[in-house]
Amino acid sequence: MSGRFYRLIRDLHLYLGLFISPFVLVFAVSVFFLVHSWRPGTASATSTTRVVSALPLPGDWQRLSGRPLIDALKPTLEKAGVRGEVGFIQHLVREEKLIIPVTIPGRETTVSIRITSGEATIVTRETGLADALVTLHKSPGQHGPNIRRNWFYMKAWRWLADATVCLILFISVSGIYLWYVLRAERSVGYILLLAGALSFFGMAYALSH
Amino acid sequence: MPSATEPIGPGKPPNVPRFLAGCERWNRKLHFYAGLFLLFFLWLFALSGLLLNHPSWGFAESWNNRKEANYEREITAFGPEVKGDLGQAREIMRQLGIEGEILWTTTRTDADQFDFQVRRPGHFFFIKANLARKRITVRQADVNLWGVIKVLHTFTGVQMDDPRNSRDWVLTSLWAYSMDAVAAGLVFMVVSSMYMWFGLPQKRLLGAVVLGLGSLSCGLFCIGLRWLF
Repeated sequence: MSGRFYRLIRDLHLYLGLFISPFVLVFAVSVFFLVHSWRPGTASATSTTRVVSALPLPGDWQRLSGRPLIDALKPTLEKAGVRGEVGFIQHLVREEKLIIPVTIPGRETTVSIRITSGEATIVTRETGLADALVTLHKSPGQHGPNIRRNWFYMKAWRWLADATVCLILFISVSGIYLWYVLRAERSVGYILLLAGALSFFGMAYALSH
Repeated sequence: MPSATEPIGPGKPPNVPRFLAGCERWNRKLHFYAGLFLLFFLWLFALSGLLLNHPSWGFAESWNNRKEANYEREITAFGPEVKGDLGQAREIMRQLGIEGEILWTTTRTDADQFDFQVRRPGHFFFIKANLARKRITVRQADVNLWGVIKVLHTFTGVQMDDPRNSRDWVLTSLWAYSMDAVAAGLVFMVVSSMYMWFGLPQKRLLGAVVLGLGSLSCGLFCIGLRWLF
């Protein structure tokens, strides 16, 4: 029984670990960019501008804000050929303009619509793989929960990010079990576990007290 | 019960160099040594990542449950050695007995008025200094354990697209380099796990299928979406 249980846990540890390893790499590699405020490739990001005329705005858009405004403007963006996660929409009253930021990991698009004429200037920046990893690491994030996940793929990314966390927890617990059954490695393991705990709690205490 | 440090499956051919066998053994050992050392860091970043992705979870609400205190203090005049915004901010913090990472949020327009924030996990200080009157107004906000956990996830001392903010507290630097170490450890664990998996011929096919599925779904978001849309 215990042999079968061991083999089951070992196989689940292996296969689930292999499945999430690309996601773990995305989160781990992007840490270096976030911690050092470094985004390789963004300086040389290519940018293209195009103009689309006579874009129809929904009739009641001025009464809307937040997520309902984003949902109402989706058909307009579709017509302009812009897809992605819509960010905070700005209404520049004096300039009579709507500024709509739209993001796909690795691409930033800004749509500026002249309210009176419906003419839109669309600026697209290809920001590259490093920026895509940073965007994914921070998505959906803690800010603007009412407007986030307005694009299906960003909703799906959150499911996958949550699944990665759950699987990491399972893999770490199963890893502890797989280590514990190795009697010869127990003493070294205990020392490392204790050293890790002391480093972690020591730092967390020093930072917060 | 088989040991995870023993080879599993068909025996190694006798001509496998001893060096390679040693590499395999140490790779397996280092895989779980690294995992055990990083365990608490990993749990913190995993749990806090989950909390940050679900800001609507009421039980982990921290900012709305904060405790605030407002107070005023007199400060003594700065000596000639105190120069620049950073020097002045550090001198004010020294006199107030506050330690933490300085956050520049406003542009200074009046030489006598000096506003800045100091942050450390769990504590936020909003400091307004009237240097002409030598009076400091402090608004201190303290958040609960959930708030500490969430801040630890993002406490790097720098912000993308804001070069004004750089690390100025030694503990922020220590924590930031710990984040690097955890990330490097995770990359090592992924690579070492692939090496171990590849050494198990009977598990290669299913492993390749699972790894392929993970890579395809992850690659869709990293590269594929730009290509599709």
